[in-house]
Amino acid sequence: MKAAIKDYVISELLSGKDISENDDLLLSGLVDSLGVMRLVTHLEQQYSIKIPPEDVTIEHFMNIEAISLYLEGCMN
Amino acid sequence: MEAPPTYNATSLPGYSGSKLSFILHQAIDRSAERYADRPAFRFLDTTLSYAELVDRANKLARVLVDEGIKRGDRVGIFMHKSLESPVAVYGIMKAGAAYVPLDPATPASRLRKTIQHCGIRCLISHAQKQQDVLELLDAGTPLECVIGLDVIDQPGIRSLGWDCLEAAPGDRAPDSGVMQQDLAYIMYTSGSTGIPKGIMHTHASGLSYARMAAETYGINHEDRLSNHSPLHFDMSTLDYFSGPLCGACTVIIPEAYTKLPASLSTLMEKERMTIWYSVPFALIQLLLRGLLEERDLGTLRWVLFGGEPFPPKHLHALRRLWPRARFSNVYGPAEVNQCTYYHVPVNEPESDMPLPVGRVWPNAEGLVVDDKDQAVACGESGELLVRTPTMMRGYWQQPELNEQVFYRRPAAGGTSDIFYRTGDLVQDRGDGVLMFLGRKDRQVKIRGYRIELDEVESVLAAHEQVEEAAAYVVAGSEDSETIQAAVILKTRQDGITDELRQHCAQQLPWYAVPESICLRESFPRTTSGKINRRELRGHAIEGQRAEAMS
Repeated sequence: MKAAIKDYVISELLSGKDISENDDLLLSGLVDSLGVMRLVTHLEQQYSIKIPPEDVTIEHFMNIEAISLYLEGCMN
Repeated sequence: MEAPPTYNATSLPGYSGSKLSFILHQAIDRSAERYADRPAFRFLDTTLSYAELVDRANKLARVLVDEGIKRGDRVGIFMHKSLESPVAVYGIMKAGAAYVPLDPATPASRLRKTIQHCGIRCLISHAQKQQDVLELLDAGTPLECVIGLDVIDQPGIRSLGWDCLEAAPGDRAPDSGVMQQDLAYIMYTSGSTGIPKGIMHTHASGLSYARMAAETYGINHEDRLSNHSPLHFDMSTLDYFSGPLCGACTVIIPEAYTKLPASLSTLMEKERMTIWYSVPFALIQLLLRGLLEERDLGTLRWVLFGGEPFPPKHLHALRRLWPRARFSNVYGPAEVNQCTYYHVPVNEPESDMPLPVGRVWPNAEGLVVDDKDQAVACGESGELLVRTPTMMRGYWQQPELNEQVFYRRPAAGGTSDIFYRTGDLVQDRGDGVLMFLGRKDRQVKIRGYRIELDEVESVLAAHEQVEEAAAYVVAGSEDSETIQAAVILKTRQDGITDELRQHCAQQLPWYAVPESICLRESFPRTTSGKINRRELRGHAIEGQRAEAMS
């Protein structure tokens, strides 16, 4: 799952710029609040889950590692 | 390169022991005398009191002077938002130099160009940017000194960590001889020719603005201001100057929070913010996804917004949520800081009418003129020219542009009054209240960021495969707009659009990179042979609609 999220982030949000799982996703100017929303919509469709607004927080979206931990929690 | 102003044995510096306040950084000294232990800046769970800020800024100024920085020099700030940001801003000014905030997300080649253009010899940074700075140094720059990184070993570069401040004396700033007419900061913005423009502000213009804003909004030492804007964006001057001028606390909002409205509203509540200032886009995001109905934001007394029009439906929704706050539309290009405001009347009924930008504020004068600089009749549209003490001195190293952007009206005694040509088209509603109608040129605002579409086109056209390029703005999701582009290639080549976007991302700030680039065999033309960008834009909108339907 981590690899799939990473592929999506790099190709769709970072215009091909490489990023590691623990790199801060939100410090870079490349991902803005609309980028975060695109990512949320993509994850909802891809994993057939609903991500409520109160879960779209720093803790869950700071990096790819945090996102995948959060998603695992959602699906269990 | 223009010779820097000299400050040597032949110049007679003003008396430095005075308690008069006439330069920007005296704001923190005066506030420290009254409110030594009160918070000046906050960042997450850390605080810098006024006494601590003065101490650290004095120390940094000492280090900079020891490194050879003097009055008139430019020192870059290249780092993410942190509690070191105010230390850098005030430390640089205390050394007598002008601070130049650089977008921490800017591509390396653009950063290098800016550093070269501005003649920046010293950069203040942070360990987070270590890799970017190393790449920058490898590519060659006029930099001689970098402060704030883990110490680096690079020939010709002196490198000092933030711990270099510890040994420096902090009881008093060096005597730099800086005065009100000297430069305080230079902010770079998109330039239509492809060279970013450096807007030069003096201590006089910055301080005039800080005082006007403080009085207009009645800022006092109990206020807590939001610093939502990045440091390289002109809105940050209210947070960085007006707050400290009044002994208030400025809460620096980390970049990540500006992208996650649910976390941002939690921070706003926790920090008990009283004065908010941002682009409308940030407020719309808060409204749509910030869970505002669950947050107690009753401490907010002023909500200021500017940089682009605020769609009325969102404004009114916020007014219902925060009935005790006053709302003010702030208007003014970065070249004049601010020049009008419109306080939304408390009982104003909700309507879909666009919000006025308001009246020209006190101690300023506006003219609405036609293409021949003749005043238009009241109610007709024209370009707004502004004369104000908050006005920039000019653009750095752009003598020709500086000839064009100022209008000189003959005045008494053979002198002239100097107005800045805003390039904004406005209309007097009939009572001196101005409505903003659009731009005279091709400057656009995307989520508050200023972009010259000509610059986007010139970057695209510089690619070796591109014959001709056109850029235009198309409405995107949630009342925001996006830049799109069309190009004609020299020879047909598949899969080149990704490469072109990469090319743009290496030259332009992230918000100016076209979201999509379409390849065309030819462009629609107007009768005079110019590219018909309106028609290209129409095609793009149709394409979006077709995509949405499928």
